[in-house]
Parts: sequence; C-alpha cells; structure tokens
Amino acid sequence: MLRVKNLSVTVDLYEILKNVNFSVQENEWLMIVGPNGAGKSTVINAISQGISYKGNIEFCGENIASLKRNEIGKRIGVLMQNHSVGYAFTVEEVVRQGRYSYIPGIFSNYHEDNESKIEEALKMTGMSELRNHSVLTLSGGELQRTFLAQLLAQDPKVMILDEPTNHLDLVYQKQIFQLITAWVKKSGQAAISVVQDLSLAKAYGTHAVLMNHGEVIAFGTCDEVLTQDNLERVYKMDVNKWMHDMLSQWN
Amino acid sequence: MKKICNSIVLIVLAVSIMILGGCTKGQDSFSNATGSKIVVTDMKGREISLMEPATKVVAITAADCEILYALGAGDTLVGRGEYCNYPEAVSEVIAVESGAETNIEQIIALEPQIVFMNTMAQDVETVEALENAGIQVVVSVASDIEGVYGAIALIGAVVGKDAEATKLVEQMKDQFSEISASVNSEEEKTVYFEVSPLEYGLWTAGSNTYMDELSQMLGLKNIFADVEGWGEISQEQVLERNPDYIITIAAYMGEGMKPEEEIAQRSGWDKVAAVESERILNVNADIISRPGPRLAEAAQMIFDFIYKE
Amino acid sequence: MIKYRSQNLKPVEYLLLILSLLVVFFLCVCIGSVTIPIHNIVSIIVNLMLNKPIPEGVAGMIILQVRIPRVLCVAFVGAALSICGAAMQGVLRNPLADGTTIGVSSGASLGAVLAIAFGFSIPGIENGGVVLMAMVFAFISLLFIIALAYKLDCTLSTNTIILIGIIFSMFVSSIISFIITFAGEKVKHIMFWTMGSLADSTYEKALTLFLLLMVFGTIILINAEELNAFAISEDNARNTGVDVKRVKLLMLISVAALIGVCVSIGGTIGFVGLVIPHMMRMITGPNHRKSLPVTLFMGAIFLMLADLLARVILKPLELPIGVVTSFVGSIVFVYIFYHARKR
Repeated sequence: MLRVKNLSVTVDLYEILKNVNFSVQENEWLMIVGPNGAGKSTVINAISQGISYKGNIEFCGENIASLKRNEIGKRIGVLMQNHSVGYAFTVEEVVRQGRYSYIPGIFSNYHEDNESKIEEALKMTGMSELRNHSVLTLSGGELQRTFLAQLLAQDPKVMILDEPTNHLDLVYQKQIFQLITAWVKKSGQAAISVVQDLSLAKAYGTHAVLMNHGEVIAFGTCDEVLTQDNLERVYKMDVNKWMHDMLSQWN
Repeated sequence: MKKICNSIVLIVLAVSIMILGGCTKGQDSFSNATGSKIVVTDMKGREISLMEPATKVVAITAADCEILYALGAGDTLVGRGEYCNYPEAVSEVIAVESGAETNIEQIIALEPQIVFMNTMAQDVETVEALENAGIQVVVSVASDIEGVYGAIALIGAVVGKDAEATKLVEQMKDQFSEISASVNSEEEKTVYFEVSPLEYGLWTAGSNTYMDELSQMLGLKNIFADVEGWGEISQEQVLERNPDYIITIAAYMGEGMKPEEEIAQRSGWDKVAAVESERILNVNADIISRPGPRLAEAAQMIFDFIYKE
Repeated sequence: MIKYRSQNLKPVEYLLLILSLLVVFFLCVCIGSVTIPIHNIVSIIVNLMLNKPIPEGVAGMIILQVRIPRVLCVAFVGAALSICGAAMQGVLRNPLADGTTIGVSSGASLGAVLAIAFGFSIPGIENGGVVLMAMVFAFISLLFIIALAYKLDCTLSTNTIILIGIIFSMFVSSIISFIITFAGEKVKHIMFWTMGSLADSTYEKALTLFLLLMVFGTIILINAEELNAFAISEDNARNTGVDVKRVKLLMLISVAALIGVCVSIGGTIGFVGLVIPHMMRMITGPNHRKSLPVTLFMGAIFLMLADLLARVILKPLELPIGVVTSFVGSIVFVYIFYHARKR
C-alpha cells in the first residue's frame, strides 16, 4: 500500500537518510526500530511531507507528493512524538481537526459521519469525559490520547505512529496496542510504528524495518529482522540477554 | 514632539527671564563701555567677560547665525549649527552637529572663543566641558520679540558691534511700529496659523509664539489663542472658528500642490472665510518662527498680504 | 443521532456585534472636538439619506466632510489591524504577534518612505505609489522575518520571532534615518509622514480601506478552520491534511496588504493588533470561527472609541491616536486578563 523507494534526505550537507526502501501492505503492522539517531523520525517526517527528500513515496502506486494535501490526509495519518498546542483548544476541537481532510474549509461542517467518527474516537481513547477540557490542562498521557483520538477521527488508510506509548501508563499502552491491532485487521488498513520497546515490536508487529545511521539494515517480517545477529550489530550489545535479564525480574 | 519640548522650554525660560528682570530691558546693561574690556550678562544670567571683542565664534542656533550676519559679523563664525541656512554665506562655514546631540569635540576643535547656544542643547556637563577648554558659553534664548532685541544686543556686545546692534534693533522696532500704526483696528479679523498640514496631523501656533505676537501686532485675533504654544488641533475646530485669514508655514517642495492650494481643496473647508476669499498665505517657516531679525520681514509680509490687494 | 453544536457564532451574536458597531459609530459621529447638538446631526444625516439639501452651516461641513470620513477610516483601520493580528497570532502560533511586534509595520513604513524619497507614484491614483510600496515592503518584510526566524530556530518559538521583529524594526528605523539624512528637501515630508495621522481621512481613503478589508478580510475569515489547525501546531495541520504552504502564503499576502494600506493611510498604530485578538480569545476561546468575526468588529469599535477619546479629551487639542490606544488598551487588557484568570 505504502511504498518508500530510494528515500534520501540531506540537511546542511549531512546525509540523514541514505537510500531507504521499505513498504507496508494491507493488514500489516510495520515496526520501525533502531537506535537513536538512526533516522526513524526523519522517515516519518518525509512521509508526512514535512521535509524535502529525494526518492519516491507511493501510496497504492500513486506518488503522494503529487496529491492534494487533504487527499494525502485521507490516506495517511501521523501521530507525532511530541505534542504541543499553541492555544487553549478543547479536546473535542483538537479531535475535530482530524476530520479536516474530509471537510476542508469552513463552508460545510455538519455531516453525520463526522460527528459519529469524532464520538467514536473519543470513546475509544477514553477521552469522552474530558472532551470540553482545555488541552493545556491535560497530562502528557491525556494529550497523547487526544492526538490519538484525532488520528482515529482522521480515519486514514495507513496510520503512522511515532513512539505511541510515550507518556502512557501500562493500561493505556495495552489498550492502544490492542486497538491498533484490531484496526489493522480491517480491510484496506495498515499501520507503521516507530518503537523503542523491542518487546512491543515483536509482540504486535507483523513486519519490521531495522535502521541505523540512516540506512536500512534489514526489512522483512519481524522474525526475519529482529534476529539476535542483526540487533547485536546495530545496538552493539547482546539484546537477547538484556531482554531476558529484564524479564527475569518478574520470576 | 520636538516642537512641544521647544515651546515648553522657551516658555519656562521666558518666565524666568521676566522674573530675573533687567536682562531684556535696555541693551546698554549688556556691555561695559569703559575701557576695552567687555562684560556681558547672558540670557541665563551668567556673566561673560572678554578682553576684546570676540573674533572666533560658533553659533548653534539658526537665529543667532542670522543675527551675526545681520550685524555684519558673519566673518567671526568659525562654526555653525547644522540647521543654520540663512543667509547663503553661512553654508560655507563648517557645520557642527547640533540639535539633540551637540558635538562638543567638534566645537572645541574649531577653537572658538565664544559659543552661542540656547538652552536646548545644554546641560551642566556641556557647559563645563566647553569652559574647561577655554571656551565661553553665551546663552541666547528669546521667546518673544523683546527677547529677540535682547539677543541682538547681547550678541552685538560680544562681537564688538554694539552700534550695529542698536541700529538693527531700532530698525526692527521702527518697522514694527510702522506696521502697527497702519493697522486698521476697527474690525477684528481672525487668523489661523497652520504649522503642520493636515496629512501629518494638524498643528497650530497658539499663544506665546512669535506668530501669535505678530498677529497681535497686526490687529488680528489668533483663533487658537486658547492653545499654549504649538499644539495639534482638530480640523473641526478650524471649521467652526472660521478664520478670515490662514497663514501656513508648510514647506513647498516644488512638486505637487502648493500649500495654499492644498488647504483650499480640503473637503469641508470650502466654506471657510479665508478659503472663500482666497486669503491663504504661505510663509517660509524659517522667517516667521526664528527669534531673529527676519521677524520684521515676516511682519511686513503678513501686513502686505492683509492690507494690500 | 448525535447532536451537533455549531462552531460558528449564533446569528443573534452577529446581530449584537453589528448593532454595537452601529451604535458606537453613531456615538463617535455625534461627539467630537466641536460640540454639535444631536438633533442637528440627525437632521443632517436624514436629509442626506433622503437626498434633500443639507442645512447651511458649519455643522454640516464638519459632520459630513470631516467626522464621518474620519470615523469610517478609523473603524476600517481598527478592524483591519485587529484581524491581521489575529491571523498572525494563528499562523505563527504566537500570541504576541502583531504588525508592530513582528516588524511588518516598520517594513511598510520603509516602503512608504522610499516611495516618498524617490518620488514613486502611480498616475491617477492619489498616493498610489506610497500605498503600493508599503504593501510590497510589508510582504517582503514578513517573508524575510519569518525566513530568518526559521533559520535561527525552526520551532519558531515566541521569543525568536518577537526578538527578530524588534531588531528588524530598529534596523528599519536606522535605514529610514539614513534616508532622511540624504533626502534633502524631502526630509520634512518624510519626517512628518513617519508620525502618521488619521486626521486627513477622506471618503476616498475610506473606500480604499473598505475594499481591501472586504477582499483580504474575507480571505482571512474563510480560512478560520485552517488558522485553527495552525494554532494547534503547524505540523499537526500538515498531518491532518491542511495545505500549509498555500494557507501561509494567503495569510502573509492578506496581512501584508492590509497592514501596508493601514500604515500608508494612518501611520503606525500599535497595540490594536496585539491586544484585541488576545482579549477576544479570552472571551470566545481560541476557535477562529468565533474569534475572528468578533475580533473584526471589536477592533473597529475599540479604535473608534480610542479615536473619540483622542479627539475630545483635550479639546481643542487632539492627541495622537497611538497614545490613547496604548494607554487605554493596557488598562482594558489588564482588566480582562484579571477576570479571565479568576474564572
């Protein structure tokens, strides 16, 4: 569905991404993993057209750079790593913004579909009670959930989530991941996530891209990519041992 | 803003000078005629003494420059304030930064004996710095015509042109009294002085300005006598007060409408008495608002404008 | 079925705004430097509307040729500056942005001064050259300032852009002073021009302001949703499908045009664009669908009242309008801020 071809990004003579290639198909959940500075967020930035790049990013064969903004919005939605809101908008107003691609502009805003999507999104993320609260008064987790609700309201075909478990407690982490798993199973939908927690990647992802220094080290199914060898090469440590040590805390 | 400052300072000074008394009355109190030593009291009450008439002076204000030339002492100028522009000969003299930032170093470098200043550019440090360099500061500041006579006498005494000073003052007095004598004081006509045209904010010259003094001398009533000094007024007021004459000192740059024409075409002004009868005069701002010898010329101009067809 | 609450102002609220505007307009026409009894004023206006001859006398002149054009110009300038402030505060996501803080007004002044110094003019349109240069330079300044801010700090934080705006204003002032030194005879012209005044308002100027306000004000108003998106965050706007580049460009052009024309007609009037949007946001919330129209009307009302005060408080003297806006604006702002905090 979404294919990244020969993506390269250079900023101030520094090559942040070099020839990145990967793709995600329907009903897949692609995990982008790699150490800090590998360029994971830059990939997301490029897909969301926030930075200039060389190469092609295609959605179902169409080069998305040639599409109108709101058309891109209907196909791809992004949950960013950091959230900041400039003014005291309410949760509902921020979630409503997610529907922009479908009703761009101010002339016609009322549509049953819009309202039901917004309601659903609020419910799914547990933000219904806080809908009239100013986002400036929310905790980090509540803000994260607000923007997740916005993403759900936006209802794209491909959801891209940059470290979605930031600020979320375990309960919400589990809830969100289950939510997305169910969502990904729906026809015509897929998800891409950048995660730091490799266990989550293995548990929920179907496919993975391992990156380092702006290059793709491995791309394929989770099992193919997240091998001990690959991980040791990239993280320069025995990842398996570390994970087991962590888990053994619970025995 | 500068003009408000200017007029406030001048007014304060005028009051203090009047209180000090003798300074402006009679020119003979300025110079000590015995021997060749000159002792004068300037307009701030400070005493300055010279062994002989000064031959190298710097004059900061444009008015003082004009007075010097009128006294035939233009050759004593070694430096002049940057705004001095009359007569033409003065542009040959080296210009010294004046205004808000008077450049002491420049003045000292010219090695004058005397500096004529008004109180605007002054503070204690300036005066001290100059005096330490062996330069005497003479404060010349006039806020009415009497004050101008005083300034002329003072400057004349300093450069040894007492006779010429007396003559100049006599000339001015004669001209003024001739004018007032010929004035038809039966019907009081009204005048509106415009110092800044509408597009930049309408300003007028109210009471305690030279323009006001001239208007009184000419038997005209200044419609804005209730305004102190120069002030920004509303055009509604002009329309209501309906002046018989309008005198504007706006500068004509050579292109576009002349100030008189501009005033006449303002919407709503066509029924003003002065506009209907085309009694609008444009006077050069320098002539009418400087405390110098050309005030007599200004008076003559206005007189001619009003009484001669 | 899910109940939908409209995002826009209710018709009743619009009506209230329009009524308030008309009442204040009438008030400002009735009161002025010269006292004219109300029944005179009413009869003049009524006669005018019924196409009957106006009663002779100074009152007619004053009301029709001086006061009404002035109050009209003041209203339009107030509305324009306020809505520009709101637009900038939205696009730049910066509650301190307005024509003066960002340096746009200074840029416009520079354009106008250059036009005067070089005698640039458009045949047929009075002062056309000045207005055009002011608009062009306003636009260039905006681009320059934002580009520079981006280079220094790509999050465009509040501090950066205001800092750059202030430095830019100072830079422009020095250039204007430089030009003044070399402008020779045109010096006085320019120096006086920089002080600016709405005292010479005419119906032609009011019409120019009105037309431009209609065009660019409307552009800003219909981008209310987009401004909301920017106000949340520019990245979020882009991700939810807003054509960020197009909206930014539209807003920059609109703001530059409106500020350009306001500065060339009335000089730099500070405070209005900064404070009115802020105050209105405190009342309506940050949703631009509500705050923009309210800002537009209240901007006009505020400036008309400020101008009224400037005209009558020291009569027959007139205060420069900038003095009143700053003074009154500060007090009103503190009052509203205090009350908003209490809630």
